[in-house]
Amino acid sequence: MNNEHQLKVEHITAGYDGRTILKDIELAIPVNKISVILGANACGKSTLLKTIARLLKPSSGKITLDGKGIWTFPSKHLARVLGLLPQSPVVPEGIVVADLVSRGRFPYQGLMKGLSREDHAAVAEALEIMGITNLADRRLDELSGGQKQRVWIAMALAQDTDILLLDEPTTYLDITYQVEILDLLTDLNRKKGTTIVMVLHDINLSARYADYIFALREGCLVSEGTPSEVINEELIKEVYGMNCSVISDPVSGSPFVLPKGRHHVLDSCLA
Amino acid sequence: MRQSEKVFITLIISLICILLCIAGSLALGSRSVSPGELIDALFLGKAGTFGQIVVRERIPRTVFSLIAGAALGISGALMQAITRNPIADPSVLGVNTGASLFVVMGIAFLNIQTAGQYIVLALLGAAITAVFVYGIGSLGAGGATPIKLALAGSATSAALSSFVSAIMLPRSNVMDNFRFWQVGSVSGANWTNIRAVLPLLIIGFLISILLAPVLNAMALGDEMASVLGVHTGIARAIGALAGVVLCGAITAVAGPIGFVGLMVPHVMRLLLGPDQRIIMPMSAVGGALILTAADIAGRILGNPGELESGVVTAFLGAPVLIIIAVKSKGSSL
Repeated sequence: MNNEHQLKVEHITAGYDGRTILKDIELAIPVNKISVILGANACGKSTLLKTIARLLKPSSGKITLDGKGIWTFPSKHLARVLGLLPQSPVVPEGIVVADLVSRGRFPYQGLMKGLSREDHAAVAEALEIMGITNLADRRLDELSGGQKQRVWIAMALAQDTDILLLDEPTTYLDITYQVEILDLLTDLNRKKGTTIVMVLHDINLSARYADYIFALREGCLVSEGTPSEVINEELIKEVYGMNCSVISDPVSGSPFVLPKGRHHVLDSCLA
Repeated sequence: MRQSEKVFITLIISLICILLCIAGSLALGSRSVSPGELIDALFLGKAGTFGQIVVRERIPRTVFSLIAGAALGISGALMQAITRNPIADPSVLGVNTGASLFVVMGIAFLNIQTAGQYIVLALLGAAITAVFVYGIGSLGAGGATPIKLALAGSATSAALSSFVSAIMLPRSNVMDNFRFWQVGSVSGANWTNIRAVLPLLIIGFLISILLAPVLNAMALGDEMASVLGVHTGIARAIGALAGVVLCGAITAVAGPIGFVGLMVPHVMRLLLGPDQRIIMPMSAVGGALILTAADIAGRILGNPGELESGVVTAFLGAPVLIIIAVKSKGSSL
């Protein structure tokens, strides 16, 4: 576990086509931890991940990796340290699992060279960690949503980066698969010390699985800290504009958010 | 069956078919040659009888149909890979027609004569048309979807083709010699123009092989490719340049031969999956086979004259285009 890469976001302002989405964000990604970025739709969560992964150039401020601006790194070099699984990557028609996962080895391949022995070993390990070794020769379009997502994460694992960013890795999955994916990511974090940063929609799963939470509202960082420090009625109101009660999750002991809508709220719970 | 076995078997079958096509291309035509004469002329160096001379005359044409088919196959594979669009192809996108128009204008107005001049104009026409069609196809919501690109390409192709006709029709005296600027044919090939285009084809072929791993990364989407360390803009520009050079150089000699670049990579993907390191070289092999077979078919069907090979490939390719268009639900590749 020699992963000590420091990733810092220094006063980032960024957006698309002149429209500013992120406003002066300043944060440091906790090393060897799982961080979750929370926030309502269109608050800039994905934009923040994209800016960190160098998919989007900030209009001001900079992202630094070990003190150096990420835009100064050669692209393959950066790709060996920092990986991102986008929300909806393109699936080449007819691709089989092993081929897809091996494409994560691109940053390690030289010109004209095929896969080396290390490449094959990394692919085999990624398949094993994700528990999909038996699917290696199957076509991706034959797999279930949960299996597909494991394949994509395996590809990101084959890239063998110390920092892994994931944009909504559990969206569209059944609750069983959501928990399964988050468990696998936790395994990865504990076994290899991989620093994980992800965007999640489910506040309660985030509170369980995150070591650290960043809460965004309209492109600004409004709160950060451990789930029990950060998640409370006021923050949920501020970030999501929703009334709620926060209790202690009887299963994990982490904060648990119970939304309060206009209906189905007991009189005794009305504030 | 394992992937490597599939590739091996496809390669062996294709090579056997290519050998048969080479023999057929040398022997068949308006004056067919017996197997005995073919062997004498090829392996014993005899050029005594009329049949033996006919065989020697057919050698450059056969060589050209092989390399032209290979170049068009790779060109189509490159264009499909960089646009992630199964319909991209030098003829569907109008690139071949653009190259052809520039050459025809050169012949009519600039009195060009050397192979080098033909090639320069063809490359220029191909490049301008490629940029133009991609620009039009990218307009509006959703970017360059397969259907929009195909529509932009065929509309442009139809317009450019009518310019070609407009320039050629008043010059009916030369039209017979230049009919292949409307529908491509390998019949005009000779050693001089083969030598002129060969360096360009080798460069295009090498680029496609070197670019294959990059294109594999780009197949996962531009974001994923960037995360893996690909400069997508540069890779796309290099791929487009190679694709345009390959089809432009061939068009300079043969006119706009259609659909080889569409059909061949598509069939190879169906058979062998989406790995570009396999698709690129196998599209070359398949393209060489298809175009040489099309040339032979054109000679047999058109007897006592001959049918341009571009007519034959279009006849084969149009149904394939329709099938792909129906199958592709938007942007998948």
